[in-house]
Amino acid sequence: MNVVQLGNITKTYVKTGRPAVSDLSLSIPEGAVFGLLGPNGAGKSTTVMILCGLTRPDTGIVNVMGMDVAIQANEVRKRIGVAPQEIALFPTLTAKENLTYFGRMYGLDARQLSLRIENLLNTFGLADKANKQVHTFSGGMKRRLNLIAALLHEPQLVILDEPTAGVDVQSRNMILSFLEELKKSGTSIIYSSHVLEEAERICSHIAIVDEGKLVTSGTRDSVMKNHADCTTLEQLFLKLTGKNIRD
Amino acid sequence: MALIFIMPLALVIVMALVQDAPFRDYQELKLDVLLVDMDADSLGKKIRSSFQATGQVNLVEERDSLVARQKVHDGEYKAAIILEPQVSATLRRKTRQLIARVFANFGMEADTSDNAEVPTIRLKVLVDPAIKANYRQSLASGIEKIIANVQTTWLLDELQDQLSEGKSDNKKIQFDLSQIATVDQSYAATDKFAGLMLNSVQHNVPAWTMFAMFFILYPLAGNFINEREDGSMLRLRLIAGSQFAVITGKFCFYFMVCLLQFIMMISIGILIMPLLGLNQLVLGGSSALILLTASCVAMAATGYGTLIAVYFKTAQQALSFGSVSVVILSAIGGVWVPIYVMPEILQTISRFSPMSWGLESFNDLFLRQASLGAILPNILRLLGFALVTLMASVFIHNSRTVS
Repeated sequence: MNVVQLGNITKTYVKTGRPAVSDLSLSIPEGAVFGLLGPNGAGKSTTVMILCGLTRPDTGIVNVMGMDVAIQANEVRKRIGVAPQEIALFPTLTAKENLTYFGRMYGLDARQLSLRIENLLNTFGLADKANKQVHTFSGGMKRRLNLIAALLHEPQLVILDEPTAGVDVQSRNMILSFLEELKKSGTSIIYSSHVLEEAERICSHIAIVDEGKLVTSGTRDSVMKNHADCTTLEQLFLKLTGKNIRD
Repeated sequence: MALIFIMPLALVIVMALVQDAPFRDYQELKLDVLLVDMDADSLGKKIRSSFQATGQVNLVEERDSLVARQKVHDGEYKAAIILEPQVSATLRRKTRQLIARVFANFGMEADTSDNAEVPTIRLKVLVDPAIKANYRQSLASGIEKIIANVQTTWLLDELQDQLSEGKSDNKKIQFDLSQIATVDQSYAATDKFAGLMLNSVQHNVPAWTMFAMFFILYPLAGNFINEREDGSMLRLRLIAGSQFAVITGKFCFYFMVCLLQFIMMISIGILIMPLLGLNQLVLGGSSALILLTASCVAMAATGYGTLIAVYFKTAQQALSFGSVSVVILSAIGGVWVPIYVMPEILQTISRFSPMSWGLESFNDLFLRQASLGAILPNILRLLGFALVTLMASVFIHNSRTVS
């Protein structure tokens, strides 16, 4: 069963006038760690926003866990957890206050929420910073907390948009290790990134997009097999998207 | 904190102090006026005694009319009354001629030997170019009243003189004209609040309190846009069904802040203003109705602030537009000057300012001890305004949640 089904979606922003996503179709199987890969401006973030129901595609069908996002956006949002590319936290609240507030907004029971927060803060090495204001955190700490906020309500599908952007090696390792554990629990993960080593480490499936269009997709192994001349994902990526600099 | 509580406090105190004198102008007119009495006869005496009795004018004697003109021109005195020589005698002569003509007309014996045309008596009143219109009118009507009074008295005296001519035993009757008719002016209020009238405190405390309440848009919009910019709003958008809760949560919080502002400012009017030499704020109406009105104003203010917060994309846009619009709404709403002194076009426009609805309700309650029925139309307008702005805010916010 597919947890996500995108059918021929196109999105053009009025400001730019060119399609951010063009005729994109994707299927993401349940339990997969799906790497949505592409250079800057490829349309990864737009695709993520479309999946969350925060951006409406001009054309096409978006189906998440059997629900049409255009019609059942709220139902979809209840079941997905999103760590957006930008840090989506209250900077003047403490880590614990942020998580408590978001957890309550998800409708979680106060007692269970408290335990969940404690567990996640421990897992991500932030327990001793629970009562510190977020604006005092380093980039890596903010990223980890941003991820925790997406996991509070134990979503069936976790969508991560550049979750390791600007973090140190230790934080990155911690995040990736956690995602590997999460994968074992059967949670589906969409991992949008342009850091190919990370995708190589954790993704079971990949899709490479460029200039809003799908270039290739499938299981990581099958994609690599189709391009036998490439030994690494990075070689494959450069082969398919070219070596021109993207801004 | 300072913006929400301290600044409005300072504003209401300063405005009440600044406007105290102009408000007293209307009610407790007291002018220093020069009197140049070159006549030195009974008219001057009458003017002195009459103005002394009213207490509205403090007459200062000046001998030279040119000096008086200069002093008024320089703004040292607001006005000067100049009595030319022989003005009393001329008035008496004119009166005598008038009675003699009346007697002759009815075939009665009268001395009509003096039938030369006597020019109309003109009293000169010089006024400071910077004097307010209401001062000038008040002074002119005061002098006209004195002249009319003198004329009537002298007409009656002359009438008696001519009727008693040749009869040595007849004594003249002195009339007290004030015993014939007086105007008894009082404020249309219940006995308990009979002396209560619009003064600086009664106007400025509710007016500037409302102004401050509408300025809630400053922290509200600032906070809202900050959340949008720091990303926390995005997180809330990603949570199912949270948008209504977010908007109403903010609305409720800032509504409570507005009510706190109101309670604090009213307390200042009652407790602090008298210590500054101002009148004490008197809450003439029912406390429940005052609280109801304050709640409706708070809702309208918060609704407006929320709309500004969701509509504008940057803090600079929201705060610039918001603050200017509040100043305009307050100006046309009667916060700066009472609506009834505005031009007709502005009076019509003022009907659309939520601040005018609030201020009218507060005046109805504080000064007229109005019932719910009397303030209900304005209460409904405020509630309608709050509802429309809140619904529009939710709609705009939701529509922007999905791009």
